[in-house]
Amino acid sequence: MLNNENKLIKISEAAKILGVNMQTLRRWDQSGRLKPTRINPNGYRYYKLSDIRLITKDIFALAKKWVLESIAAEPDDQFFCPDAPTFQTRLHRLEIALQKIPKLEKNFSFISSVVGEIGNNSFDHNLGSWPDIRGMFFAYDLNKGQIVLADRGQGILTTLKRVRPALTNDSEALLTAFTEKVSGRAPENRGNGLKYVKKVLVDIKKDIPLKLYFQSGDAFTILDDKTISLIIGQADAPFRGCLALINF
Amino acid sequence: MIIELKKFGNLLISRQLGKEALAALAPRLPKENTEKIIIDFLEVTTFSPSWGDEFLSPLQQKYQNNLFLKNTDNPSVKATIEILEETNQVKFQWE
Repeated sequence: MLNNENKLIKISEAAKILGVNMQTLRRWDQSGRLKPTRINPNGYRYYKLSDIRLITKDIFALAKKWVLESIAAEPDDQFFCPDAPTFQTRLHRLEIALQKIPKLEKNFSFISSVVGEIGNNSFDHNLGSWPDIRGMFFAYDLNKGQIVLADRGQGILTTLKRVRPALTNDSEALLTAFTEKVSGRAPENRGNGLKYVKKVLVDIKKDIPLKLYFQSGDAFTILDDKTISLIIGQADAPFRGCLALINF
Repeated sequence: MIIELKKFGNLLISRQLGKEALAALAPRLPKENTEKIIIDFLEVTTFSPSWGDEFLSPLQQKYQNNLFLKNTDNPSVKATIEILEETNQVKFQWE
């Protein structure tokens, strides 16, 4: 039996929930902005209720609330990846969805690879050392062009201090992670992930605008194709793990 | 020898899976560095430095001038190869 979240609804119901008319939803389908889950042989469009509800939520606010909570519970199932294989499966689903967006046809892999690096960093660097909740928050809203990843892991500073003991604060650690080659092959492999992210966001000429907000501890940075040098800001609300928002 | 990466998947991310792919391939790899090895990226849709570093870097180290890359047009493949070249101070060759 289908649970409520997998329930398919008609275009009229989807339009009502979203507060738009049916013609707008048909246009969104043609442009790839919001594809129906199924179209029956008569041409009627059906949407997954959970997809429509997601559009009405602010996924970044949900993730931020989760990383800031002093005592947290596991996030809602639809956003929770307790382990790397679950993340891989959901990333594959995202990759397929990105390929269907006409403006991303050639460049979707920049986005999927950046999401892959940030997400796998969370699992690789916290394996066996999660301070409280194991796993990550991973959600995307293709309608708004947003992807959010968050973890309640040890954060960049604690992770990097193992190979760079001289690091003293979150700002230094974030700058190092994005800009310097960390040649720590031992005790664990690391070093290229966030530099790759910076290369894709800043250095490579693309025909799609890509923007990243990344925070760990009390330090944050924003990267896009207008970034000349990396600026690290002080966040108002610090937390232990990592929080990333990708806009496209 | 031609290594078709699509046989390991189309979405190639994570260190763990890169390591496993290399371990699965290891018994079929030539013992000596005398044979041409071609890595074919055909149908790879997403590639990342974590997977690439675990799989490509050891092969590059072992087979050096006998290692060649093919079908590297995907943007994430190109970008990953560049970052591996920059961070590992190596230069890959193209078929």
